[in-house]
Amino acid sequence: MKQEIEKANLSQTSEINKVAPQKVYVLIPFLFLTVTLLGGMRISDKGFLFLKPDLVFFVLAAFLIALFFKTNLISLEDWLFGHSSLLKTVSNLAILATLFSASIQIFNSLTPENGLAFWIISFCFFWVLWNNLFLELSPKKMIRSLVALFSFAFVTKYIFLANLTAPTTETWWQALLENPAKQTLTWLLDLPRFSPATGYLQFFNLAIYLIALYLFPTSTRETLTANS
Amino acid sequence: MEKEKFSQLLGLALVSFYGGFIVWLYLANPSNLEELTRKARLTVEQASTGAKILTNTYEADEENFQKGLQAFRNENFVLAREFFDRADPAKRSAKVQFYIAYSFYRQGWGKISNDDRLFKKGLETAELVIKLDSSFHTDDPDLKLKTPFELKQELEDGLKITASDFNPLKFFRERK
Repeated sequence: MKQEIEKANLSQTSEINKVAPQKVYVLIPFLFLTVTLLGGMRISDKGFLFLKPDLVFFVLAAFLIALFFKTNLISLEDWLFGHSSLLKTVSNLAILATLFSASIQIFNSLTPENGLAFWIISFCFFWVLWNNLFLELSPKKMIRSLVALFSFAFVTKYIFLANLTAPTTETWWQALLENPAKQTLTWLLDLPRFSPATGYLQFFNLAIYLIALYLFPTSTRETLTANS
Repeated sequence: MEKEKFSQLLGLALVSFYGGFIVWLYLANPSNLEELTRKARLTVEQASTGAKILTNTYEADEENFQKGLQAFRNENFVLAREFFDRADPAKRSAKVQFYIAYSFYRQGWGKISNDDRLFKKGLETAELVIKLDSSFHTDDPDLKLKTPFELKQELEDGLKITASDFNPLKFFRERK
């Protein structure tokens, strides 16, 4: 079983490593930085809002990166050690830093901003990632698991919870008379009132993150030999 | 090999500039494009001032100082301070700061009573002038208080409540 997984990893490694250097060193960090930029962005009636990431997102992102290393989706040894060139090591470190920042912001994007929903979703993320740390997952399964996890979180936040949120009205009484159930839920769950455009924006943000992950090579060792 | 090195350098430049922009954006938190432009300009000005201080080339902006002086002489002290602040954003010029302190004194001075809030601000600025240049002496004939120590004394006296405050002849005293 283990041999099969290693074989699958190796075949994927050689396949991914045929990528051009500009894709690894320019396109991928650009995509991750775009996710970092958009992850905390919300659109409200008053304009843009840039929400700084909570400490819990740093912990979740660290777990996620650890999972990437464990499942060999990213080979730590190939990415950081054994390069004769300092420039390559520094560039690789910079790309890994962008992956970490994008992961923080993707949790920032998919987790409700405050209240009970924030803690429940954060706990669910923590639970799934913690469980995955002890499983023998292949890179493909790991990616599938992540797509499922993030899609579910997206639907929960931007479709389910967004539909429970009461629209902004001028007075508290007017809101309570027009939408009593939604108003109560908004108050109870402390749901923020953002424009629907936020959901569309974060949908594309999640898509960019998953595309960048798909393009992310396991190792950069062969890129060097292929071009030298 | 060269192509790879070029890509790596380009990638590092991208990460530095784009990453820096993102960090700045989250710190500045602009709510619209207009605010974004305004905050960007402010940040560039602050960075430019910081660079001038580091390279020891910082000088107060003469044009804004002259505009401030004009407003100061026309008794428009709020506008004068606005120009003085623009002339010396890092608060490192004893001359400009002296005029700011003086503007607080003149604006806050009253025949019956002084504005304590403005006098306190003036006192703080006068103390700053002393820190910047304790031997500062103005040659402006319009100003009767020539040094920051004299100005500080005047502001401190104005903030104190003494028996002389109830002297009716006080009404005939003149602003310095």
